[in-house]
Amino acid sequence: MTTKHRLITDSFKVVKKARKGGKREKRSAPPPPPQKEAEDEAVREDLQKLRQFDLDWKFGPCTGISRLQRWERAKVHGLNPPEDIRELLLKTHTDPEYTLSIWSQYPL
Amino acid sequence: MFSELSAQNDSSSLLCPPGPEDQGPVFERVSLAYRPCPERYKVGERSFSRQYAHIYAARLMQMRPLLTVRAQEKWGPDVLIRKLCDLQTGEQCCIVGTLFKRMDLQPSILKEISEEHNLLPQPVRAKYISESDELILEDELQRIKLEGNIDRDKCVTGSVVAIYGAERNDGKFTVEDICIADLPPQTARPKLSSDKFMLLASGLGLGSSHADSILGLQLLTDMVTGQLGDQGEQSGAAKISRVLLAGNLLSQSTQDKDASTKAKYLTKKTQAGSVDAIRLLDELLLQLVISVHVDVMPGQYDPTNYTLPQQPLHHCMFPLSSVYPTLQLTSNPYQANIDGVRFLGTSGQNVCDIQRYSSMESHLEILEETLRLRHLAPTAPDTLGCYPFYQKDPFILEECPHVYFSGNAPAFESKLVKGADGQEVLLVTVPEFSSTQTVCLVNLRTLECEQVTFSAFSADYNESEMNISH
Repeated sequence: MTTKHRLITDSFKVVKKARKGGKREKRSAPPPPPQKEAEDEAVREDLQKLRQFDLDWKFGPCTGISRLQRWERAKVHGLNPPEDIRELLLKTHTDPEYTLSIWSQYPL
Repeated sequence: MFSELSAQNDSSSLLCPPGPEDQGPVFERVSLAYRPCPERYKVGERSFSRQYAHIYAARLMQMRPLLTVRAQEKWGPDVLIRKLCDLQTGEQCCIVGTLFKRMDLQPSILKEISEEHNLLPQPVRAKYISESDELILEDELQRIKLEGNIDRDKCVTGSVVAIYGAERNDGKFTVEDICIADLPPQTARPKLSSDKFMLLASGLGLGSSHADSILGLQLLTDMVTGQLGDQGEQSGAAKISRVLLAGNLLSQSTQDKDASTKAKYLTKKTQAGSVDAIRLLDELLLQLVISVHVDVMPGQYDPTNYTLPQQPLHHCMFPLSSVYPTLQLTSNPYQANIDGVRFLGTSGQNVCDIQRYSSMESHLEILEETLRLRHLAPTAPDTLGCYPFYQKDPFILEECPHVYFSGNAPAFESKLVKGADGQEVLLVTVPEFSSTQTVCLVNLRTLECEQVTFSAFSADYNESEMNISH
């Protein structure tokens, strides 16, 4: 029988420690400017609006398709989906947090 | 009718001495305008990451406005239309929703797994209906059990209907009346000046172990290409302007499942059963396409995808016949506009599936029911394979066809259905050729339909012949 050559990292997992210096720097960083805070607030509001759209049962199930696809289906069937949702989705079409529904993280 | 047409000349042309080669009459085949509608049943992107909830949601979204109008026509314009969530006990109202039939006998993979320890095989049955079936109506949010004046065994899962009645104290809904979408609107068919025929055949069953339909098939091709009979019959054959083969071109026996169950080394040298059958089909198609336009639809046993809508067979499988522009490989729900006459039909999977899950027996009756439900395949995706569409349900009939057919029926039947708004639809069940040796001819001018049988021997002769060989 041959003995298996095992690496030391098999038994002892490599744990990368965050650099102390970096952490200290973060801690000492000044609080974000008020302008950025307002931006965060706007983003949170937008995401909240999209989540409300996901949870509106009138537009059908939301799993497995993107928010824009769901919006377009509702439009095709004359259900009058809110126009600002579409504008918001078109503006942010690259960010999966915006384009995919709230259940997209869950497996089918 | 075709039979009268081809018998109009007396058959003396066969009894006279043959003339010089180039002096025989030439019958020009009648041509017609053909406009296929392939986009509707084409599946572009194939994403199977979605659930089927979307198709039911889209179906209900599409059908709800139609059924609301129908319900108001039937029960008066001020009928109360409710969603299930607003339902009040004892209140007479109308509800639009999707039917679901809970069936004890319906084969279920979950049941099979849970009963694995007892090893209870679920028997294959001809019909899965039983006395314990329950009918349930679903809308977007809720479901309710149905009772009362509704034919439980006749209904199938997936059909969208409007019901009128009231909820009782025990939470069940007593149905008084039911309303279905009925025939969709139809565009009028242009008046044709002369008789033109479309030949429908299905279930050729090539590659089966007993090659009993080969002679019939050869007679069929000879008849269509005008190599049979006297001048009268040949001039009749020239009136056949198009041939449609509606599915199951190969026999079920070409789908041998040996390859998946047997050991690899045992099946290494064997060829798939469908290879020879496709070659035979190619040769047969070649004889047809050099003289007439042929549309080929795939069916349940043909080498294409299984789920509806079945995509056209690949042209690489037909190296001989696919070089002719007269060969059209089409999708399985077939839709085309032929000289203004709209054809719509399937290879019969939808009808066979409804036959298994309802009390209806006759293919013609089921065909009419699907037309009145305004849905080609209500049982998809429940018991019939179907692509997970999300935006639209393509099987909803938006426009009424003039000829509505289904293939692979046990026998030829046809019926002219007239709708309330002057619609006229010819329903045809195209018989399976391998067992009946029968095809049907539809006259595009009059929408009459007639069967032609190519049986070489009578049935009892076949039997006695079989007895001798065994």
